[in-house]
Amino acid sequence: MSELYQALAQGLLIGSTYGLLALGMGLVYGVSGVVNFSHGDFISLGMFMCLALYSALSLDPYVSVIITVPVMTAIGALVYLFLIRPMVGHQFLMVVQLTLGLSLVLQNGILMVFGGQPARTPSVVESKLLLLGDVVLRVPHLIAFAVSFVLAGGLYVMLRSTDFGRSIRAVHQNAHAAALMGIDVGRVQVMTFALGIGILALAAALLLPGTPIQPTQGLRYTVITLLVVVLGGMTNFVGIMLGGLVIGIAEAFGTIYLDGPLGLLMPYIIFVLIMLFRPQGLTWSSSR
Amino acid sequence: MLEIESLTAGYGGVPVLRDINVKLGAGEIVGLLGANNAGKTTLINSLSGTVRPISGRILFQGEDITPMSPRRRVERGIVQVPEGRLVFPEMSIRENLLLGGINSRARPNRRRQMDKVLELFPRLGERLSQNAGSLSGGEQQMLAIGRGLMAEARVLMLDEPSLGLSPLFVQYIFEIIDRLHAEGLTILLVEQNLNLTLRHAQRCYVLERGQVAVEGVADAVRNDPRTKSAYLGL
Ligand SMILES: Nc1ncnc2c1ncn2[C@@H]1O[C@H](COP(=O)(O)OP(=O)(O)OP(=O)(O)O)[C@@H](O)[C@H]1O
Ligand SMILES: [Mg+2]
Repeated sequence: MSELYQALAQGLLIGSTYGLLALGMGLVYGVSGVVNFSHGDFISLGMFMCLALYSALSLDPYVSVIITVPVMTAIGALVYLFLIRPMVGHQFLMVVQLTLGLSLVLQNGILMVFGGQPARTPSVVESKLLLLGDVVLRVPHLIAFAVSFVLAGGLYVMLRSTDFGRSIRAVHQNAHAAALMGIDVGRVQVMTFALGIGILALAAALLLPGTPIQPTQGLRYTVITLLVVVLGGMTNFVGIMLGGLVIGIAEAFGTIYLDGPLGLLMPYIIFVLIMLFRPQGLTWSSSR
Repeated sequence: MLEIESLTAGYGGVPVLRDINVKLGAGEIVGLLGANNAGKTTLINSLSGTVRPISGRILFQGEDITPMSPRRRVERGIVQVPEGRLVFPEMSIRENLLLGGINSRARPNRRRQMDKVLELFPRLGERLSQNAGSLSGGEQQMLAIGRGLMAEARVLMLDEPSLGLSPLFVQYIFEIIDRLHAEGLTILLVEQNLNLTLRHAQRCYVLERGQVAVEGVADAVRNDPRTKSAYLGL
């Protein structure tokens, strides 16, 4: 029984960060129709930047975000402006190919700089634990949970009650009408993509402590994010956070109850099952 | 106030409009008529800047605005109420109105402007937090016009405001248009409905396959045989 609670707790905690990853992807999809297949590799990039900052300046990942978030936000803006924007409006598959290519570039770039050995980035809280009855909670997971939900809440408020947030939703709901309001649609798209990548930098730091990283891991994160986004209904805020929790829990159950490869398949199995019975995603009304 | 000089514009390099010359005087209400596919929406979008001209110029208050982005044009006060209304369906009336006034010139006065708009359309004020997508067609048209007014329009361009509305609503919308005109707003009224437009506009242009076929004061346009042929496509 305590194993069950353990799996639930761990899944919920990590799932919140998966939800956050997926919010970034959903926002970008919502305003520019781009599904970014290099999403997970940007997470890798964020993680390896933290590793580099630890090696060079012995910065804790939680401190490194002061540097990695702005840097990756800027990288996101440049990537959108110079690589993705010229392709948007062309064939959907061309954009997919472009982001897949970007994924390979990032992966191999990281491989060249850091080598292929799994690496770890220590953090002060890495091995701290919190006991809740029989359930052992790792402090990094708790931090990830808290920060992810605070950030998701912040995003929600931003989307609802600021001009920038309303512009994002306007572009999503009708880009032509948004342009007629005087909204610079192109700028909203760049800024949303940059914001999405900036969020990844933060999520990378949240997922990092205690996790060995390697340059090829990006695809796994991309796929998890895709599962969550599709499960949540692409642009549905609440649905996506919920989807993150579901996938997080599925993953935790898989690794605790099933061994090896089968356990890793758990999120996909759950995903397929949910999509079979609820192809419209987890929630009913879309609150975009 | 607004002058289109030998404008040729279209999509993907293929012209839809050819050598268009249109003028709007300050405070005027001008009709733009034409059958389906005549190019009315293309013309209005050229004024908004969402369709790029192939050649020709657009002047606003003496300034060449041809190279300007849609955003800069809205800031100048050139505002469109689009065909099919295009309200933001999953946002409330209030949010739609706020978005209407999001341009840098209108933004500081949004509260005051919203009071004015709600005075004009009390019906919108009664349901400020209702989603625009759940409004009736007529209410959406009110919202679309209100949203345009939020931008502090100097020229308001209405693309087929009567489309799909019941006669009662059409009458109401045109009363509003007359009222805005009486308050001094310059209006470009795009319509398929000939009689309705001729009744409300001071001058009219009739587009036929991308060219101005007839122009003049309302009565002259009404009696011009080319008006009818432009409509029947003869
Ligand atoms: N986005 C577009 N891409 C390519 N061609 C277009 C586009 N929009 C309109 N057209 C073409 O341009 C021509 C003029 O269309 P437009 O919408 O300007 O006519 P309209 O007078 O507004 O018609 P309606 O009364 O039906 O609204 C049509 O032949 C149409 O097929
Ligand atoms: Mg039209």
